[in-house]
Amino acid sequence: MTDDVAIEIRDLEVTFDVERGESNVVRNVDLDVYREETLGIVGESGSGKSMVALSLLDAIPEPGGASGEVIYHPENGDPVSVLDLDPEALRRFRWEQIAMVFQGAMTSFNPVMSIREHFRETLQDHGYDVPAGMERGTGILEQLYLDPDRVFESYPHELSGGMRQRALIALSLILEPEVLILDEPTAALDLLMQRSIINLLREIQATFELTLVFITHDLPLLTKIADRMAVMYAFDFVEIAGTQELLHHSGHPYTRALLSTTPDLTTPPEEIQTIEGTKPDPVEYISGCSYHPRCPMADEQCRATEPGLMDVRANHEASCHYHADVPDEITIRNRPRGVIDE
Amino acid sequence: MHPRYVLKRTGQMVFTFFATVTLTFVLYQAMPGGPAEAMRAMILAESGDVGGSVSLDLLNEMVEHYANVNPDQPLHVQYYNYLHSLLVEGDMGTSIYQGEPVLDLILQRAPWTMFIGVYALTMGYAVSLFLGAAMAYKERSLFDSVSSTGVILLNSVPYYIFAIVLVYVLGIKYSLFPINGRYGTFVDPGFTLEYMGSVVRHAVLPVVSMGILATGGALTMRGNAIRVLGDDYVRVAELRGLRRSRVAMQYVGRNSVLPLYTQFMIGIAGVLSSTVVVEEIFAYNGMGKLLYDAVLLHDYPLLMGTLLVFTTITLIAIYLADLTYGYIDPRISTGESNE
Repeated sequence: MTDDVAIEIRDLEVTFDVERGESNVVRNVDLDVYREETLGIVGESGSGKSMVALSLLDAIPEPGGASGEVIYHPENGDPVSVLDLDPEALRRFRWEQIAMVFQGAMTSFNPVMSIREHFRETLQDHGYDVPAGMERGTGILEQLYLDPDRVFESYPHELSGGMRQRALIALSLILEPEVLILDEPTAALDLLMQRSIINLLREIQATFELTLVFITHDLPLLTKIADRMAVMYAFDFVEIAGTQELLHHSGHPYTRALLSTTPDLTTPPEEIQTIEGTKPDPVEYISGCSYHPRCPMADEQCRATEPGLMDVRANHEASCHYHADVPDEITIRNRPRGVIDE
Repeated sequence: MHPRYVLKRTGQMVFTFFATVTLTFVLYQAMPGGPAEAMRAMILAESGDVGGSVSLDLLNEMVEHYANVNPDQPLHVQYYNYLHSLLVEGDMGTSIYQGEPVLDLILQRAPWTMFIGVYALTMGYAVSLFLGAAMAYKERSLFDSVSSTGVILLNSVPYYIFAIVLVYVLGIKYSLFPINGRYGTFVDPGFTLEYMGSVVRHAVLPVVSMGILATGGALTMRGNAIRVLGDDYVRVAELRGLRRSRVAMQYVGRNSVLPLYTQFMIGIAGVLSSTVVVEEIFAYNGMGKLLYDAVLLHDYPLLMGTLLVFTTITLIAIYLADLTYGYIDPRISTGESNE
């Protein structure tokens, strides 16, 4: 990991026009992704984390749109302003520079095409040398412990969930991108398969010198792979820090509540914690700190003034007026065991 | 392809064929007075006209010859004999009015019906597919609502009304196309440009009238394409930076057409049945008109023969559709699905 920035996000806004008004699902987000790091983005469903990821490829579905700046810095070459690319340049940019793996590996492949055909058409449409590319694909599949001949011949429905997910990861690497975004890549898999995918991702990251952006709501899982974590709440990041730093010195009440609510296999159901209150509505605008309606520490200042990210310690930012007091005020109950062990 | 699946489908087709033959035969026997009686009455009346008398044996022989059944035998024996001559000898009986074997009559007319039927079906479906896909891509636009309304209108008004409107407007008022016959009266059949041009010009109005039937597929295609457009693999294909044309054809197109494939093959039955009315309107001497005339004239052997041919073509079409489905959708051919 270097301090070289691979992707710079500035003032990113994602909005959808809905009948009730404007739905603002990403608000004024700033974030840097460093080269060859693994950045984990964690947050509850609907907090806007997938939208941030899609913005990196300027792929917000209609009728939504992203505005602000997403600057991609290739290892060699000039910076690219992703949101300003023309359609053809954007088409080439996608998958060649930044590739993305979805949670829906089950449905990410065209059901009527063999896996080989998926690899072949991707190489062809990006003007890559197809035989050389297929050779590379064979190698990647082998590295993911798949039998290339068998997988290439197969149709998507003939592969198991884990194999399909690995085939999709292989497909995402076929054009040798520098950044790989993983949106809940393990959500539909069993625990053993989740663990093995995580291990594979680590191996692959080392081999291909990849920058990984890993999006999930599974906090314990994230701690096993992420170098840094960014916690998203109400369409913006509320805390960004190194993984261990975040686990032990979190300065935001929401992060601490999230850590407290994380159940593990040994937690009896009656002891599972929840965060009081309801999650925010993307159409409504909350004045002050977006977390104040649910925060036990909220006071006048929180209701009136939006905190914004501020430095807590070195390489640790949190958007809380009282970040210094938070660790004493809010204890983390039932802290995930696996998390602390590592 | 799975051999057991093929065997099963073949068995189903053979069963359906026999069921149809049986049903047709029973209906044929159940017609008011029964065909044999009707024919006997007719022969008696004709022989009465010329003043002669006919012996009962001779009469039965004549009835058997024409209707391909012996009226005095029990029903199941008649049925066996009919099947036997149909399947073993390929004998469908003889047309009562035209005096020619039913099979010959059908073989003379079939190519003409195939000609207009195939064009109506393929052109109708080609238009539907492109229109449906275009409507899906432009969902909720003005083009979408205008086309949807148009297609619903075309499908709500019976195709033969359109046929009559076409005859009036394009045939009579503007004289753009001939309105009856298979080719011009003064054109000699042969491999000449004139003959072929005439055949095509005569086929235009029947093909258009029947093709309208197939445009209902546009709405199905629209629905399918809208569903597929929302599928993950289309989004992933776009994120993968594939060319728009490839996403449109290989991803959206191919997956939306799949459910229509069987519908297309079943559509053959619809087109065949529509030839009955359309060929009558355009005085087009094909199989449909043959059937229509057979109904009017109570020409039972001919009626049964044409019905059997229509049934067989439909059955074969659906059979082929089922067997080839595995080639266009690999999820079917393996015989098992883990979804």
